[in-house]
Amino acid sequence: MLNGLGSLRTLSIIGLFGVLGFSSAFANEPPASDEPGSVSVRLYQLEGSLPSEDPNSSQWDSVPSSEFNLAPQVHWPPRIQEVTVKSVKVKGVHNGQELAILVEYADPTEDGADAAALEFMVGDKPAHFAHGQEMLQVEGGPVNIWFWKNESGKAVDMSAKGFKTLETQPHQDVQAKGVWQNGIWKVVFSRLLKTDDAQDVQVEEGEWRNVAFAFWDGAVVDGLVKEKGGQKAVSTWWYVRAEPSADNSIFGWVILGLALAAAFELVIVRKLRKGQSV
Amino acid sequence: MKSPIISGAIILAGMFIFLKFLLPLVTAPLPASLIYLYLALVLSGILIYGTMSAPSLEAMMGPIFRFLSGKGQTGAGQMARLAVLVMFPLLVGWQTYSRLVPSDLPPAENRTIHPAPPGEFVGLSNPYPKTPENIMMGKGLYAAYCSPCHGANYDGKGPAAPGFNPPPANFSDPGTIAQLQEAYLFWRIKKGGVGLPVEGMPWKSAMPRWEEELPEEFIWKIIMGEYDGAHQSPRTWEEEEE
Repeated sequence: MLNGLGSLRTLSIIGLFGVLGFSSAFANEPPASDEPGSVSVRLYQLEGSLPSEDPNSSQWDSVPSSEFNLAPQVHWPPRIQEVTVKSVKVKGVHNGQELAILVEYADPTEDGADAAALEFMVGDKPAHFAHGQEMLQVEGGPVNIWFWKNESGKAVDMSAKGFKTLETQPHQDVQAKGVWQNGIWKVVFSRLLKTDDAQDVQVEEGEWRNVAFAFWDGAVVDGLVKEKGGQKAVSTWWYVRAEPSADNSIFGWVILGLALAAAFELVIVRKLRKGQSV
Repeated sequence: MKSPIISGAIILAGMFIFLKFLLPLVTAPLPASLIYLYLALVLSGILIYGTMSAPSLEAMMGPIFRFLSGKGQTGAGQMARLAVLVMFPLLVGWQTYSRLVPSDLPPAENRTIHPAPPGEFVGLSNPYPKTPENIMMGKGLYAAYCSPCHGANYDGKGPAAPGFNPPPANFSDPGTIAQLQEAYLFWRIKKGGVGLPVEGMPWKSAMPRWEEELPEEFIWKIIMGEYDGAHQSPRTWEEEEE
């Protein structure tokens, strides 16, 4: 015969076996993805200094890239129907203090008005990708834009919340360096992960942020700059995340789980050996 | 008589095969979480049934208890018991790890593609007659204003389309404008992406707010040209009442 109390407890362990078995089979199903191209930029964690000053640094070679298609800006006048930059490769790194994002794209000529920009949502409210344009049913937030132009050779830290609100921030926190070679622009943007400026995107390790891209071909055609202002190649929102530091506390929890399970087994088996008269 | 453990296992396996493979033949596949829930219910049913009386409890649990206690076991039985005792903590450890390890996947997006329109757009009908002239004018306006994204062939494959996420709607797909009324298109064209409610994620949409640039007449005629060009018909109230 079975020991009543012991059997109830043992029953629960059998149930636990079943539940664990099922949940491990179903717990971590990856979501279906049939969309081509990347959906996010991963800022890989590096030790020491970042290749922020040098787009051609060999440090970039080992960093995997994401690739995003770009579209002519047709959302708002002045529209443009055909743009030079069709897609961009993006790499990112951080070292816990600073981050660097490298954008690499084809542009057959180097021109003074060539330009590149990264845009980020700032804060908790979703911002429209077109400069945080006003939405009719949703209260939106502002965007932070990092703008680099070849002729100035530096980045400008900007903010916007709606069309015609784009302005240079009083506090400049972003650096950029661009190199053109054989029809390819490589531009590195860099900044501290976190700043004291409420107008800036704050990058927390392990947390997702929204990023969008824009590029201008500054070639002069018939006396006019081909792409400027709203006439540019754009993307809509994608994701970016600074890779979190390895969290060793996870292994502590795993060992605790192992130990508890083993102790539980030991108790059950001892009870069975004592209580069960075979 | 068969052991209740074996019958229980057969019932569970049969249920799993039914939910996972047979049911999708007649209806939409169940999400894994729901299959898991159903199986957990079946398992608790089996356990309740097996523990209803002392003899049935002994019949179901006795072999398991004897197996776990290890009394009188030799050879293969001993090895199997050892394997179970080793596997269980490892499974718990693995579960703990996979629950705690940070995910590399971006947040899931549950964007509603055709959210409900605001009340003032419900039930509007196209005030312009479907004459060949009006349809032709609509197609011309479509070519000028809409085709860069939605495509000259109404298939959502315009030259600007590859850069946008979400992609522009494919009107030749029977799942888009054929499912909608003209009034719905009037709302979407007039107010654009920024007019969507929160479940439509307006911050991602590149659809222009055309009321800023086009008169209502143009929008109604574009709708006519769009249906004609895509070889689709608008959904109407009459159809729904049939």
